Amino acid sequence: MTAPDGSAGASDAAEFERIDEPRGDRSREWELFVRESSEESLRHAGSVSAPTAAVAREQATTLFGFAAETLWLCPADETVRLVADDVTLGDRAEKYESETDGRGGPPELSHEGGTER
Amino acid sequence: MISVSKLLCGLDAEGDGLRYDAGEESSKPQIRERKQRRPVVVWNCTKQCNLYCDHCYAAAKTEPATGELSTAEGKRFLDDLADFGAPVVLFSGGEPLARSDLVELVDHASDAGLRPVLSTNGTLLTEERARELREAGLQYAGVSVDGLRERNDEFRGQEGAFDRALAGIEASQAAGLKTGLRYTITRHNADDLEAIVDLLADRGVDRFCFYHLDYGGRGADIQDVDLTPQERREAVRRVCELTRDYHDRGHEIETLLVGNYADAAYFVEYARRELGTEQADRVLAYLRRNGGDPTGERVADVDYQGNVHLTQFWQGYALGNVRDRPFGEIWTDESNPLLRALRERESHLQGRCGACEYRDVCRGASRLRAIAASEDPFAPDPQCYLTDAERGLTDESAETVGTAD
Repeated sequence: MTAPDGSAGASDAAEFERIDEPRGDRSREWELFVRESSEESLRHAGSVSAPTAAVAREQATTLFGFAAETLWLCPADETVRLVADDVTLGDRAEKYESETDGRGGPPELSHEGGTER
Repeated sequence: MISVSKLLCGLDAEGDGLRYDAGEESSKPQIRERKQRRPVVVWNCTKQCNLYCDHCYAAAKTEPATGELSTAEGKRFLDDLADFGAPVVLFSGGEPLARSDLVELVDHASDAGLRPVLSTNGTLLTEERARELREAGLQYAGVSVDGLRERNDEFRGQEGAFDRALAGIEASQAAGLKTGLRYTITRHNADDLEAIVDLLADRGVDRFCFYHLDYGGRGADIQDVDLTPQERREAVRRVCELTRDYHDRGHEIETLLVGNYADAAYFVEYARRELGTEQADRVLAYLRRNGGDPTGERVADVDYQGNVHLTQFWQGYALGNVRDRPFGEIWTDESNPLLRALRERESHLQGRCGACEYRDVCRGASRLRAIAASEDPFAPDPQCYLTDAERGLTDESAETVGTAD
């Protein structure tokens, strides 16, 4: 039996091995930012799927190493995204459903709130 | 996607305009010219699948995945594709028939002016479902079968999958849908190639798409069962011979090859040897219009969560997400240096691909395989099977000695 701290219990310590591999695909999404030259700003250039920061860095370097002076990677699930109303697909879908069902007018325009993918 | 039957036997098809900018020369009704500059969009509308295939590029799972686009989001996404001018949306997965709203989505796509087509394992395709899809506007169903019974079932992880796929093909045909085969060639099933065409041609299937293995998703884990370049060359030669043999016998099947644009160069060389210089020149002219490997240009992929990929096989990198930004804005944003470079890749290709005489009709073939082999998006595709003589390489510029017939 494995103890809560992850160590094996005293009575059967010899029978168990610690398993570090994930049970399945645990790839995270990493937002990727690229600067091609020192005069330019960082630009968002998509995202890579990778289980760890090290693998994400390797993938980003493979894909953009030929062009990038600077690469930044941010875990997508740690990135706060703020968008205006009616920009996201979900907002536009909701607006369309509302309009086609005749239940409401144009949504209010505001500039706050985050979205989840 | 290269049509062997078009190039070697002159068979016209609805996709001629898309593939060869040859709509005016084709006897078949053509997809509208205005849309030909836009990509065919593969939409992996679900990650769920009832099978677990060894080579699945989408790494589909038998359990439902979180984050799928809802029905309402899917419809807005399809509207965005139509507004952008995408000519075709290919509903794929996972297994798209695992989505209970598939008919509704196909209907919406058709009404929006897209040409909806389906990629399925066929095992869930009943006659009733096929009829509903046809009535909703579905134009074509491609059913995946990867070998004869035993080999297919082993590959697809389920006994009985072959028989159920064949039942799906029959259901699709009975509903009046144009129906074709999708077949990924590996060492496991290369021997079954002719037998599967014979079996299905006898049952009235007349479109056969043969896929080279690309190294995406679970496909990356089975590179050891991929054909060697020499085996690949032989398999492509057999597809050419098979196609010509059927046409010579008056049975005009349509055969296509997908996923390795070294095929384009091979067809020119094959035509020169077997059909003469005039035919080879004609083949080359068509292929120049085709434009070579379509990654990042003529084919796009959107996964079940809305991530936009450069091709359906390249799921590990996304340009953006359609939940954040309409597809057309993502696809035309060339501030992304990778996207920009892929669209002008002849000037970036290295090694034997950069020096090859056929780089304008091949464009380096699979960049995903290049990355898998060399960790460089512009390195040579390891699955090029041309000889150095065919590539036009001198001894000084040749990196690798190719294989010969």
